[in-house]
Amino acid sequence: MSSPISRRSLLRGAAALAGAGALAGCSSGNDAEGSKAKTTITYWDWYASQAGWVDNEIKLFQQAHPDVIVKKTTQVSDKYADLVSLAYRSNNPPDILMVPKSPQLSQQVSQDWLLPVDKWATKSWQSRFPSNSFVEGVDVFGGKVYTAPFAALAPSLQLYVHHGVFKDAGLTNEDGSAKLPKTWDDVTAAAEAIASKSGGKVAPFGFGNSTNTTLAWWLDLFVRGAGSPGGAAVGGIDGMDYRTGQWTFGSDRNYLDVVNLLLEWKNKNWFYPNSMSISDEQARAFFERGRFGMTVGGVWNQPEWSQHKFTDYSLVTLPSPAGDPKALFYGPPGGRFVAVSSKSTHTDEAWAWFDWLYSADAGKRWVEQGQGLSVYAKNNDPKGVSFAPFAQYVAMSGTAVVGPQPAIRNPKVSAVQLAAVKPDINDVLAGIYTGQIKDPQGALTELEGKTNQALADAIKKAPGVSAKDFTFADWELTKPYTTKPGA
Amino acid sequence: MVMTTQVREDVVTAEPPRSAGRRRSRRRTYLWSYVYLAPMMVLLLAFIVYPIVASLGYTFYKWDGIGDPSEFVGLANFRQIVHDSIFWRSLGHTFVYAAFVVPVQLVLALALALVLNNKRLRFASFYRTLFFLPVVTSAAVIGVVIQLLVSNFGDSINTLLLNLHLVHQHIDWLGDPHFALAIIILVGIWHTFGYNLVYFLAGLQTIPDELYEAARLDGAGRFATFWYITIPMLRAVGVVIVILAVIGTFQIFDLVQVLTSGGPYFATEVVNTYIYHLAFGGSNANAVQPDIGLASAASFIYGLLLIGFSVVQVIVLRSLARRRGA
Repeated sequence: MSSPISRRSLLRGAAALAGAGALAGCSSGNDAEGSKAKTTITYWDWYASQAGWVDNEIKLFQQAHPDVIVKKTTQVSDKYADLVSLAYRSNNPPDILMVPKSPQLSQQVSQDWLLPVDKWATKSWQSRFPSNSFVEGVDVFGGKVYTAPFAALAPSLQLYVHHGVFKDAGLTNEDGSAKLPKTWDDVTAAAEAIASKSGGKVAPFGFGNSTNTTLAWWLDLFVRGAGSPGGAAVGGIDGMDYRTGQWTFGSDRNYLDVVNLLLEWKNKNWFYPNSMSISDEQARAFFERGRFGMTVGGVWNQPEWSQHKFTDYSLVTLPSPAGDPKALFYGPPGGRFVAVSSKSTHTDEAWAWFDWLYSADAGKRWVEQGQGLSVYAKNNDPKGVSFAPFAQYVAMSGTAVVGPQPAIRNPKVSAVQLAAVKPDINDVLAGIYTGQIKDPQGALTELEGKTNQALADAIKKAPGVSAKDFTFADWELTKPYTTKPGA
Repeated sequence: MVMTTQVREDVVTAEPPRSAGRRRSRRRTYLWSYVYLAPMMVLLLAFIVYPIVASLGYTFYKWDGIGDPSEFVGLANFRQIVHDSIFWRSLGHTFVYAAFVVPVQLVLALALALVLNNKRLRFASFYRTLFFLPVVTSAAVIGVVIQLLVSNFGDSINTLLLNLHLVHQHIDWLGDPHFALAIIILVGIWHTFGYNLVYFLAGLQTIPDELYEAARLDGAGRFATFWYITIPMLRAVGVVIVILAVIGTFQIFDLVQVLTSGGPYFATEVVNTYIYHLAFGGSNANAVQPDIGLASAASFIYGLLLIGFSVVQVIVLRSLARRRGA
């Protein structure tokens, strides 16, 4: 039996394939182009709706650095921390990465995940940032710089208002613009108008809680307005009332008030019925289509809506019982964005990309594209923002201020490892909302007790740390707070 | 009986004495068997046995999975799991899932297998492929599609039900604790019943036609044929199918994770998603410290419970088989 392919031609073909494979293999690490080799650095982030900005920066960076290729991988945001951890465990992390929220940055440093960048981030390089941008326990550990602030403090959550739905419900000012709610009563009145005018066809409120996070955003936004500075943050030591150094879910009446308000709205069928099972992305799309009139979210909503040419909305933040928010959003001085991996074999190139991302020009483009506020104040002028909803966001930057920082007062606080408390505030809210928890006050009190106990247990295991490190009795909630080391 | 014994005796006496060469040849044959088994054994040891043994060690530590475990906590993880109401709730959901999926799936699969085994049925292969299709479709894809279906078309379904006065208010199919687990059960039945269908078909095709012919000649009707021939002849394969189906349902994870992630408020949490959430944090994992030690303890306890359940299952099935045999 004769084969249509001779043995010689088969061997020749195999050799050609092997040669092509070898060439392909050579090109994966250092891309040979002409006589000059290119270096590929790997970069990880979780920026999905901000991908347009990142991709543009990569394009510009590669034009400025023709010998470097940035290979970006955008991971799913809620699994990012796990994936980074797995990458390090398999000794295959990216060269440069967005700093994951978990484990604590101090632990990432102690595990030797990250490279100190002091070699490049000299005092002169640091001087481009606002003062107090490099703070021990925030972006500096053991006197070494690992990351840097990228965005200015900004309100993390807003109440978005659909103009079309509001106008259809007659919620307009004399000039025909949508009448934006400021107080809890305003929000309730607007919801009532939407429900009655639409005959139940349009829901006043909607959210997408499939990832079990967004319901807590409602509590966070409304409870801060009422004067509870902890909001509804989950994990770590966020969400604490630093005036007492305790979580106050059960003892602070505001929490139950907001929960009761949400239940009242739910019992009137004012929430979009599928809110518990749809995703935040779906909720965003439904809001865009006018299926509900108000939703709570962050500035990350805006780029996607702009892509879809949906601009007919406004935003307000911290609606409160009386109109003036009694507490604000808080953040640390300094901040975190990206860091270079200690395992990187292309540290100079990774630093070049690090430096590029932290440039004032990149920050300017970040603001211009409506992604958020820049750490450089000159980039954040609302007058320079043509897009009205984003200008509203920029204008409300005063609702976020620097808050107390236990890690600055006592750097040993970084060693406090708080065990996860389950059910957490997201779970408790879902339980209350779906009627599985019949006693909201009891559930909130139990959560408060468990969370404070977890802190007490964690403090016992951290040498040189006491409960007093978390107490800032002189904190005025509506003013920036300067934490003094050791005080 | 006598004849059989004689034949066997003949065979034994006819067999020539074993020579050393023949023994060597048999050893070589066995050796090759071990060689063929070796890759599977290596994989089994690496991916099944080793993780079980390794995770047993983790059960004594509080460890978030980063670095090496160093905080020895003794049996505290086991105590915490045993006293965690969410664990027992998850176990309850897993049993509810199995209790609904296994019998419904088996009855459906057997009924369809009987239909597809009919030699006069045209396009039988096409139907077989059609029913097996969900099995080869990723549970993650199915989950996403179902999630989109009920969220995007849920309104239309609700409107229809409201108009028919079958419900009096809108139902959030995956967000309402009264319905979410039921939806997962329905999808679970549809997703994997193709396996059981194929197993039953294989079993049915081993039953000799002569038995049915003889039964027909004796005047047996369809029901009698099914009850006295098909069911007894399927008993051996049926036991295996039941055991596999039960084991499969106790491994439920992907559908739940994609459809509801165990929510709302643990209303659909099953043990495997519970363990996963302990090990890697919740869906808001970026803010919650995972606890591999606790997850390992939960896995170990669940493993023990399943072994106990399997032993009971085997004992019950054997005793049933013995009783029927007698």
